[in-house]
Amino acid sequence: MSTPAGARRKRRSRRRTPWQALLWIAPAFLSIAFVFGYGVYRVVEEALHREGEWVGLDNLRIVIDDPPFRTAVGHNLRLLLTLPIIIAIALVLAILLYEALRGWRIHRFAVFLPYILPVPVVGVLFGQILTLHGMLNSSLETIGLGGLAHDWLGDPDIALFSLASVIIWKELGFGVILFLARLLSLPGDLYEAIKVDGAGFWRSHWHVTLPMMRSIIGFYVVIEGITLFSWVFSYVYVMTRGGPGDATQVTETYIYDNAFTSDIPWLAASAATVLLLGFLVLAAAFLVFRAVLPKRSLG
Amino acid sequence: MVKRRTVMFAVLAAVVAIAAGCGSSSGDSSGSGSTPASSTGPVKLTMWWWGDQEAAGMKNFVADSVQKYEAEHPNITIDTVLQSTDNLMPNFAAAAKAKQGPDIEYRWGGIWNLQDAWDGNLAAVSDYIPQDELAHYLNASEDTSGGKVWTAPWYVQPSFPVLYRKDILKDAGVAVPTNWDEFLAACDTLNSKGITPIAGGVKDGWFGGWLYSIMGSQSLTSIDDLKEAVVGDKKFTDPEFAEWWSKLQEMIDHKCWNDDIGSQELYQAQQTWVDGKSAMTISAGTEVGNFVKQVGQDKVGVMAMPAYGDGIGAGKLGSTSQTLGISSWSPHKQEAADFIMYLHTPERLAAFYKATGALPADDRFDSSSITVPQVKDLFDMSKDGSPYLENFIPTDLDSKGNFEGVQLMFAGSESAQEAAANMEKEMDRIRTIQPDLIDNFKEWAAN
Repeated sequence: MSTPAGARRKRRSRRRTPWQALLWIAPAFLSIAFVFGYGVYRVVEEALHREGEWVGLDNLRIVIDDPPFRTAVGHNLRLLLTLPIIIAIALVLAILLYEALRGWRIHRFAVFLPYILPVPVVGVLFGQILTLHGMLNSSLETIGLGGLAHDWLGDPDIALFSLASVIIWKELGFGVILFLARLLSLPGDLYEAIKVDGAGFWRSHWHVTLPMMRSIIGFYVVIEGITLFSWVFSYVYVMTRGGPGDATQVTETYIYDNAFTSDIPWLAASAATVLLLGFLVLAAAFLVFRAVLPKRSLG
Repeated sequence: MVKRRTVMFAVLAAVVAIAAGCGSSSGDSSGSGSTPASSTGPVKLTMWWWGDQEAAGMKNFVADSVQKYEAEHPNITIDTVLQSTDNLMPNFAAAAKAKQGPDIEYRWGGIWNLQDAWDGNLAAVSDYIPQDELAHYLNASEDTSGGKVWTAPWYVQPSFPVLYRKDILKDAGVAVPTNWDEFLAACDTLNSKGITPIAGGVKDGWFGGWLYSIMGSQSLTSIDDLKEAVVGDKKFTDPEFAEWWSKLQEMIDHKCWNDDIGSQELYQAQQTWVDGKSAMTISAGTEVGNFVKQVGQDKVGVMAMPAYGDGIGAGKLGSTSQTLGISSWSPHKQEAADFIMYLHTPERLAAFYKATGALPADDRFDSSSITVPQVKDLFDMSKDGSPYLENFIPTDLDSKGNFEGVQLMFAGSESAQEAAANMEKEMDRIRTIQPDLIDNFKEWAAN
């Protein structure tokens, strides 16, 4: 039987001092700091020099004024516009799966399968499917919709749209599984309560599901936002190589081309530094926004 | 006790992590990963190269050459590493940054190796191969800068013949065109009979550079004109540089090309010609023997792109050689050069042709051994070849000017005038961003 003094001794022994915690995370922190920190340092150092000479911010000014860089950033921003579409479709699919419609296990598998396929495999497949005489156009012609057939990857006006469609198809699965997992953890009595009030399918999900899923939706927005702005290199490289013309050039291919194909490392490093600074500003703004936003208890 | 153990464990873990992180930066950083050795000691050479990309049979030839060379030089081992078309340049650029990678590197001719030479990534082969030996290597002049030859020609790349199907043209009642007007008329006739005149693919971009070289050279009076445009003394919108875009537009207007040219890669499109779905295609000269083997000797004809002008490339093939270079960081430069010279021995020259059907870049090659008539035609055409334009412009101008311009023209998004204007705009950008490259061009042009 423990005495009050014994309980106090136990509480003291369990309390960790901050420096002990730091020691435990030090190995991981140092590894990450070395890998990422040193890498960032070297990139920024390269961006501030040209042909071995210090040029300050001159390289950054050149890259910001460089038309191909602006085009690439513009394309990434246009890809970001698909984010609401991805979220909306993922939510609807997750809700339908949650409602356990007939054959929901097969549907769940079919929805998640694209996500586990390697991106280069997806790129090669759709690179063939979307050619002028590829499977998509052949299918459209077979069902009498030949008028909709296009050179999906060869037409500069729609190539980026085609690329975005493939990205949406591939990325949806992650969101569906994420949302479905959250849905399954929601208390069922909330739905029963709102049904008693006479709410139907749409009202119950609008007033119960969406507010309860705010945090997970926010998480998915961040993850997919990062993907669409800085993780689409494989799609572009395999499917279009930035073409036709520069119709699908994105920031990653701009950096890659300048670093390795054109052999202008300072330009590539400057582009990477500009993007890093841009993200840091956005991250800071987001943190400030969250800090001043009134907290809600739901989710 | 628990507290002390916790602290000791954490400190130990941190030390191990730091030591592991630092350990990788103190490893050997010599060129190919091996320590320098005398030529009598063990030597390992690494060769990065292109494989069978444009000459089927190359892999077997190189494997055979390596085996024979190692048997004659027991202290030397040669490790060959294949590169794809898209990775050939970027991988070497990455290796050059780290000063680690190949001892011997496959390079295209002209600017494709000279840019690396100017950046200090290559050792001049003329420092290691005697002048009287190098004099036999064909097209070495385009690899020469500052009085040195930077890479050694390996095999000739007749650039780029038009292959035509005699059987398809005959069935369509179309004579082999001998000039530009006949060429366009042939496109009209073939189209009327539902036959694709010429198969091409621009999705991967490279074909744009080919078209530039075989058509753009027809309106130039000298290769020096081109160097002057690069350094800014002339403009790419001047008629002699812009005319070829208009001629390409004429071909598009006459529907000379397959309608899916924008979504096909180059080699995919060539296959449709082999399959009999188009009357003509444009091929790497080194692949002609392979295509003849696939289609049949009696069905294939070769010709230069029909002439519209009377410039240096009118009615001619571009003459260039693919080369082998030696990395500037290689600790075995002489050994690398010795292997390159071995590939130019008479026995190896004959073996090269026998294995690949392609032509070694050496005037000591016995051309009487050429058995395929179409390859013999190419050999004869190559003797009077013109400079290959792609090798004389910055690589960035090629990719952003030619590759992109051709893609957009085929997509109907850009006119010939806009393509020429964009070429000059891109060159202007290069002059701003890469002034050192322009200085090197000026010196190259002056010499």
